[in-house]
Amino acid sequence: MRKEDTVKLISAEGFEFVIDKKAASVSNTLRNMLSSSGSFTETQLGEVKFPEISTPVLEKVCQYFYWSLQFASGKETEFYIEPEITLELMMAANYLHT
Amino acid sequence: MSKKIYMSMGRKALIKRDLESIMAYNEGEGLLTVMCVDAACKNPQAIEIWRRQRRTLESMPSQLAGGLLRLLIQRHLITPSLLEVFKTCIEEVDLMGESSVDAEWMAYLGAYRYLRSLNLADCKRVTDFALWNISGLSSLQEVDLSRCSRITDKGIAHLLSIQNLQKLCLPETAVSSNGVHLLSSLRNLTYLDLGGIRVTDSALSSLATLTDLEYLELWGSDISDQGAAFLTRLSKLNFLNLAWTNVTELPNFPSLKTLNMSQCAISSIFHGENETRPLLYKLLVSGAIFKDVHRAFSCLETANLSYLDISGSIMDEFHFLSSMKALEYLDISSTKMGDSSIDSLICIGENLRVLKLRNTKITSNWVAALAGNVPNLEAISLSHTAVDDDVFSYIKLMPALRGIDLSNTNIKGFLQQHINGVLKTTPSLVALQDLKNLERLDLEDTQVRDSALHPLSRLSELIHLSLKNDFLSDITLHPMSSIPKLKFLGIRGAVLTSAGLCSFKPPGMLETLDLRGCWLLTNEGVSQFCRSYPWIHVKHEFVKMSSTDSNSSSDCLLPWHGTSGTCRPRNIRRKTPSSMLNTRKKFVDERIKYSRSELLNLQPSHLSRITLS
Repeated sequence: MRKEDTVKLISAEGFEFVIDKKAASVSNTLRNMLSSSGSFTETQLGEVKFPEISTPVLEKVCQYFYWSLQFASGKETEFYIEPEITLELMMAANYLHT
Repeated sequence: MSKKIYMSMGRKALIKRDLESIMAYNEGEGLLTVMCVDAACKNPQAIEIWRRQRRTLESMPSQLAGGLLRLLIQRHLITPSLLEVFKTCIEEVDLMGESSVDAEWMAYLGAYRYLRSLNLADCKRVTDFALWNISGLSSLQEVDLSRCSRITDKGIAHLLSIQNLQKLCLPETAVSSNGVHLLSSLRNLTYLDLGGIRVTDSALSSLATLTDLEYLELWGSDISDQGAAFLTRLSKLNFLNLAWTNVTELPNFPSLKTLNMSQCAISSIFHGENETRPLLYKLLVSGAIFKDVHRAFSCLETANLSYLDISGSIMDEFHFLSSMKALEYLDISSTKMGDSSIDSLICIGENLRVLKLRNTKITSNWVAALAGNVPNLEAISLSHTAVDDDVFSYIKLMPALRGIDLSNTNIKGFLQQHINGVLKTTPSLVALQDLKNLERLDLEDTQVRDSALHPLSRLSELIHLSLKNDFLSDITLHPMSSIPKLKFLGIRGAVLTSAGLCSFKPPGMLETLDLRGCWLLTNEGVSQFCRSYPWIHVKHEFVKMSSTDSNSSSDCLLPWHGTSGTCRPRNIRRKTPSSMLNTRKKFVDERIKYSRSELLNLQPSHLSRITLS
């Protein structure tokens, strides 16, 4: 996979998640950040820091991106949300317009 | 419910329907947010886990917390103590119709520091004492206590400390004139609803200090002309409802935009020395009695008047209409409008979009005179009139029509014409094919028979079709299969048979099939149809009614509803008993669980019959 096609998401604790740009574009916020030509530093570096989002929640968000792509292509599976992270995930999703 | 397929299309649609009213949810956007809110409101066990995460709750954006709270309320999962966790993040609470809300709930709400709007309409257990809890809330701007029948003047006293209050609704409470007197100290009020309270003239005079008032409901009060005179001091007032009062003469209100004087005996409107007349936008005088309608309307400035409801009012002539060139909505149902009064209407047809003529003496000739003069008319109601099949040849000259109501008329579906001395019968509904925008057609209680219906199959935009009479048989169903956009089909009181129903191929977009009163259908036949087309909502005596189908009354024909007041529809969406909700969900899950062919295979088994019938 080429580096230009991926994006690095960094959690509050500093964990790095490298995912496809296509998957990241499920989020409107991320899509805007990555597509606008050069106005964000995120566009050039290809990485986005989330000091407000903890590692397990960011992992779940990444899982959702891929689940959403699958779902859009017709593969209907369950996306389970653990009650323990529901609130934090809700806020992260709200922030990411996802 | 726990390990069902979580997010297949049916489930998604269900959640979407649940949440559409609750949060801004656009297709494809915010789905994860919606799924999280749904997961958080899944069951009491899930709530027990997240409710302890205090710090997260405190930092939650108020719009998100508001959505969560609304879904909890809607699913009847909220308890007084759960209200406590939201106390720092909520600005709006809507508990309308929650019968369990009492002083305990109010005690928790009293701690909502940032609460801006509180809706307690129809919360029957809210008492004066319960209101004491919110008396100190300085951020509160809107309080709705509509129909809380246990609120009296004592309760009003508790509200007086909320000095920022801008909107207060007290209709049909036990507040008396003394309580209304007290309200005069709430100087910031802009919106005050006192409908159904016995406000007297002297109580009203004390409200003259509320000079910021823009919206005032006084329907059903004891106000007379004397009280109406005090109202002129409210110089910003733009909405006034005086329906069911003793007011006969209304003084001049230059700021007024909407006036409701339904069920009053009106002698004059806006008479007075002041030269500037209000540019009224909306006037409702349904059921009013006019001694001299010309005099009553002589001071009315009609340049902006776009909405006029004079249904059921008693007046002899309609010449005043001819000056109302801006009218878009006109309701003259149940008046003496007849063939002789057509002239006044012809000259104002240019802007008309909605015309209601229900229960008048007009005939097809009247419609003939109107056709061609109403280029923008979108909806016409001719129900309970003397029109016959000739009317179709005139209706087709109204190019913008989207909705037609011809219920309870003499329509037969056939025209008999003498051509070259021979009596010929031609189907009259063919004329409707010229109306390229027709979306809604109501032919209930007419003489239309099966054989006249085939032209309907060519109506490419038709969404809603209602038929009802006991001549209709299985043949009725044939042309319906090819109406491409049909979403609602009603064939009520017809002699449909189970065999006919089972051979019916519903059009692809059909969502609702109303078969109420089709007495020949068997339980077996209806269930079999339901199984074959599980996505279609069937209404019949053999199918359990679900709670969401109260929205198909014939009033939907028209894009506008009247203003509030005497006949305000009670909001019942929250009153869904949880048991009913459960049966609906079970039903949805069944169709997710099995594919269509599997469902058909299940037919003979007892299991399927239990879940579906």
